[in-house]
Amino acid sequence: MFPTSSQCKYWMFSSEDELNLLREKANNKHIQLYGKGMNDPWKGDFFLTPDEEQVMVKKYEIHLRDFCKRFLPPMPRCVIGTSFHYFKRFYIKNSVMNYHPKEIMVTCIYLACKVEEFNVSIQQFVANIKGDREKAADIILNNELLLMEQLNFHLAIHNPFRPVEGLLIDIKTRGSLHDPERLRQGTEQFLERVFLTDAILLYAPSQVALAAILHAASKLQENLDSYVTDVLFGKDGKNRLAVLIDAVRAIRSMEKTADNTPDKTYIRTLEKKLEKCRNLENNPDSEIYKKKMQALLDEDDDLYNAITVQNQQKNDSALSMKVPSSP
Amino acid sequence: MDDFACPRCRTTKFQNPSLKMMVNVCGHGLCESCVDLLFLKGSGSCPDCKIPLRRNNFRVQLFEDASVEKEVDIRKRVLRDFNKKEEDFATLNEYNDYLEEIETIIYNLTNNIDVINTNKRIEQYKKDNRELIQKNKGRLGREEYELEELLEIEKQMNVARKHEILLEETETKKKRIKRKEALIDELMFSNSDAKNIVESFAQQAKEEEEEEINKPLPTKITKFSSGIEFGRQSQITFLPVPTDDGPLYCYTPVVFDPDGPSPPVNEEVVQNGFMNHIRCETEQERAGGFKTNIACLRALQESMMGLYHTSRKLIV
Repeated sequence: MFPTSSQCKYWMFSSEDELNLLREKANNKHIQLYGKGMNDPWKGDFFLTPDEEQVMVKKYEIHLRDFCKRFLPPMPRCVIGTSFHYFKRFYIKNSVMNYHPKEIMVTCIYLACKVEEFNVSIQQFVANIKGDREKAADIILNNELLLMEQLNFHLAIHNPFRPVEGLLIDIKTRGSLHDPERLRQGTEQFLERVFLTDAILLYAPSQVALAAILHAASKLQENLDSYVTDVLFGKDGKNRLAVLIDAVRAIRSMEKTADNTPDKTYIRTLEKKLEKCRNLENNPDSEIYKKKMQALLDEDDDLYNAITVQNQQKNDSALSMKVPSSP
Repeated sequence: MDDFACPRCRTTKFQNPSLKMMVNVCGHGLCESCVDLLFLKGSGSCPDCKIPLRRNNFRVQLFEDASVEKEVDIRKRVLRDFNKKEEDFATLNEYNDYLEEIETIIYNLTNNIDVINTNKRIEQYKKDNRELIQKNKGRLGREEYELEELLEIEKQMNVARKHEILLEETETKKKRIKRKEALIDELMFSNSDAKNIVESFAQQAKEEEEEEINKPLPTKITKFSSGIEFGRQSQITFLPVPTDDGPLYCYTPVVFDPDGPSPPVNEEVVQNGFMNHIRCETEQERAGGFKTNIACLRALQESMMGLYHTSRKLIV
């Protein structure tokens, strides 16, 4: 039920401007917190700007898509959709400089696997990652709770895949289109690209699905307008049609921008910049991070020790307790 | 118990079903007929241990093990003197020590351990506590006396109640006879219609009877015969936990707002051929309750829910 979901209540935004504003806020907050004692030009040079952050997020979104496609065992589409949602939601509230998107990306996918009931163990999961697998597993498991917390534990995601199936069934039953199965390929391509845009944070999954189907139809030089206006919306939906037309138009125009992948050399310079300005407390390679983790471990140990000592004392006092002798 | 036999005449329960085993202070059993035979003169010695016994000390054996009977006997005797109560001691520990001592004495006497010394101990105790023993005996007597008094009162009340009932019965009988006589007199001397007279008398009788029924019942008994009031325990029980009765729950039906065109309902899905375009469920899926129409319905609902969606949120 999308209209009653947490997705509809808390994670649908009115426009791209609102999203960008929120991202800017996160960026500013980070710079203010970690840029104390720096003058403004220095800050500008040292930290990433909101736009640069966006480029990084985009880069890792593409990375996420490719990683999921290559994933073994092959994962269902809804896992990919859900991980995209998590990833986007996370960087609405957090700065790229605070948590590195590379780490958050794999954590998102791992969490999405669990939520969408695609059962892989952490060993199976990290087998898809190049490099130090043990370290990767550590990073994922350490970040998992953080990620869920940042998502406010709103883990249920409504993806546009089932609505596409529903619309296809409806078109086959009530529409007049010849062989609607032809639409499937175009729809899938469209959906794949739409996940790289902010459309999924602005429009309902059913709207995205309808836009995908209409896009596929127009590519095949078919026209589904009469189906939408007469069959789908019918009598009661006439006055709501304008909203939908706007939404579909916006989604399709956003999808066209999905291909705007940034220049590779530009990305490389940004990566280097990020490596310098990222928050060392959350960098698993930094000394600070290691110290912090060690401190956490020690804290646990201390707590454990304190408890055992306490118990020991309690036991001792109980054993040496004197039975009040009769006078 | 079946193979239990009298140690003297070897009669068993099987041979004589009415066999009665008797026992005396020494704890050695004898059957009834043997007791009759041996203690013809009223006293004699136990055939087992040669202890002099008296005939009237023989009792019916209650426990299979005769030594238990012996212990019971000894206990009775010892407790006659060791009759202190808990209130006679300053602390619980002292009382417990005292009880421990009693048990030791009883055990010693039953098992013939150090009998001389133990008897000396008893004598010493008696000497030391003569006054207290007498007092406690008296106290026991007083308690018994009070109980008897209560019983007596109860008996008297019973008698009184019976008397009352009897009185009432004779009263009603008298009344009835009087009424009959009045009716006959009336019939004899009155000039009015006989039928009317009979009727009015019958009505009067009925009214009187009803009145009797409506008489208040005798006051309820609120005491046990022991003088403890009914429901005394209820004072100890806890009060019921106060429940906070908030406003009553009011059911409001769930309204389903699809925020889009209303999707087809189940019957339409089944009848209008929607299901021709979806894979039929496998046998396992059907066993799990995942039927085609449900999956089809869900897909259709999800495709239409939220189609009207617009974010009316303002930019913060």
